Amino acid sequence: MSSPIRKMRNIFRLALTDYFYEWQISSCFILALAAVLAPMMILFALKFGIIGSMMEQLIEDPRNREIRPVGSGHYDPAWFRTVRAKPEVAFVIPRTRSLAATMQLKSSSAPRIIPTELIPTAAGEPLFHNNITVPTGLRQIVLSEPAARKLKVGVGDRVDGSLNRRHNGQSERVHVELTVVGITPLAAFARDGAFVPLDLVVATEDFLDGRAVPPLGWQGDPPLADERSFPGFRLYASTIDHVAALRDGLAASGIEVRTRAADIDIVQTMEQRLSAVFWFVAIIGLTGFSLSLGANLWANVDRKKRELSVLRLVGFRTSDIVWFPVLQALLTGVLGWLLASLIYLGVEASINRMLITQAEDDSPICRLLPIHFEIALAFTVGAAVLAAALGGFRAARIQPSDGLREI
Amino acid sequence: MLIYHLRDLVMTRMAEGVEFRLTVPSLQISLGEKIALIGHSGCGKSTLLDILAMILRPTGVGAFRFRPEKEAPPLDVAKAWSQRDLNFMGDLRKHRIGYVMQTGGLLPYLTVRDNINLSRQLLGMPDDGSVEELAKNLGIERHLGKRPELLSTGERQRVAIGRALAHHPSIVIADEPTASLDPIAARRIMALFVELVEEMRITVIIASHDWGHIKQLGLRRLAHRTSQNSAGTVTETRVTG
Repeated sequence: MSSPIRKMRNIFRLALTDYFYEWQISSCFILALAAVLAPMMILFALKFGIIGSMMEQLIEDPRNREIRPVGSGHYDPAWFRTVRAKPEVAFVIPRTRSLAATMQLKSSSAPRIIPTELIPTAAGEPLFHNNITVPTGLRQIVLSEPAARKLKVGVGDRVDGSLNRRHNGQSERVHVELTVVGITPLAAFARDGAFVPLDLVVATEDFLDGRAVPPLGWQGDPPLADERSFPGFRLYASTIDHVAALRDGLAASGIEVRTRAADIDIVQTMEQRLSAVFWFVAIIGLTGFSLSLGANLWANVDRKKRELSVLRLVGFRTSDIVWFPVLQALLTGVLGWLLASLIYLGVEASINRMLITQAEDDSPICRLLPIHFEIALAFTVGAAVLAAALGGFRAARIQPSDGLREI
Repeated sequence: MLIYHLRDLVMTRMAEGVEFRLTVPSLQISLGEKIALIGHSGCGKSTLLDILAMILRPTGVGAFRFRPEKEAPPLDVAKAWSQRDLNFMGDLRKHRIGYVMQTGGLLPYLTVRDNINLSRQLLGMPDDGSVEELAKNLGIERHLGKRPELLSTGERQRVAIGRALAHHPSIVIADEPTASLDPIAARRIMALFVELVEEMRITVIIASHDWGHIKQLGLRRLAHRTSQNSAGTVTETRVTG
């Protein structure tokens, strides 16, 4: 066995033997550490849980990312291409005139005809989640929950869509058979609505304006010759943070829009203030924590000065001596962190059980991610080892004879 | 063959306005010698022993040479101190020096066996039964598995002697090893100690305040003289030998 390995083994053995021999004092150090660390973890978990779930709701609700035009305009395909290319835009699709975007829906299982608002959709639809199929072609439809309820249909059922116009003095009605491929939850769309591909919305507008729609066999005037422009659009920013910038950009080009930017601002300001309060408390707490840990370990090295001097007397080098308090502080740090984590997990479970019903959804009020535990461990061990190393260097610097004769 | 060769060594310390000064104009100790340093407490015995054990840095030194082996040239301790080469002296202590303190000096968390074996373990010396034999010679073999807290003061001193000898150092330095014991136990342990170092051919320096304890053990007594200046501000002890 080579000498450095033997030396380290001896140091490990002696430091651990000492640590466990003094288990009462060691336990006190561990308890003292956990007593300061656990409340810090709980405080942070509450901040993270409460503000985190609030922010998550804000971010997750696509309606907060919606940008709606006020009034109607003229938006041509080139405009849509430009907007779609912006990185801060998640989804944009043209809208036709709202009066020309209503279809009468009827199912075999319900007696009533339901006038339903048509909403153009495409892949990437922000209001869809939980595996709702995006409709394609001219014969697929996703119904809003109220519309599906009134029609008494589910996914896979068929509904009859009909349109009525006055053309050349005559009343004309056309039908199209549609397959329900999905139903959106109430939260996504609360009115009677149907998400359909843009082509069907355009076809509807064409028919109501008296034009023919050859793919569906609808007769009428010839189709539009020149490039179509749309009076409106559905636009969603990629994150809530981009809403304000997009709004300002559109306003600069003369497009007036409505957003929820004000609501977002309120939550974000609140998040910043709560975070500031948290960090204020946390910095005081962390300072106290570091000082108490440092003072404990420093004092402990002082208490052991004589034993450390004895080790130097039998031939341990100065640099080896520092290892004793460092190893013991490392152990205190890891065990204290472990205890604090256990205390925290117990408190977390009871807080969440007590308060979960008051939360709007099922996201926990008090929570930490694994990375937070790791950061706590790194900080604790770092502070502990630093304090012990400083104490150790001080003990190693005095002459061994002074340490031996002191008592 | 000198194990210690000191010339013009000075150590000064201030305490409560009085300067204590230890001077060693010349000190030569031969390999295998048994030395006694007799004097009342506070005269500087411990200071000299700590300097010889290389755990205390002298204030000034003309020459300080240490030659623990016949085969090797003398080592320059004065130079090591001036270069603050603490590791050099730490390694010398580990290999060559055993130290017995007045009390304690045992690690409370180790058993008697591990305390005695500590220096051997540091040096990676094999477990050849020499710890047990030493313990038997010291009359503490039945305590080998106990921790020092369960032992009497006399037994602890025997353990301390055991640890100082276990790794076969060149020199053992003992600072009042029996001062905390009753006179009968003190004589017995001192005799045992000297007998062991003789048998193991180890040089020994023993400090004591009581010549009576050791005069029949055949030790060479170092001459020293303590004087105080008229104002009472300087106490000087001169050691020669």
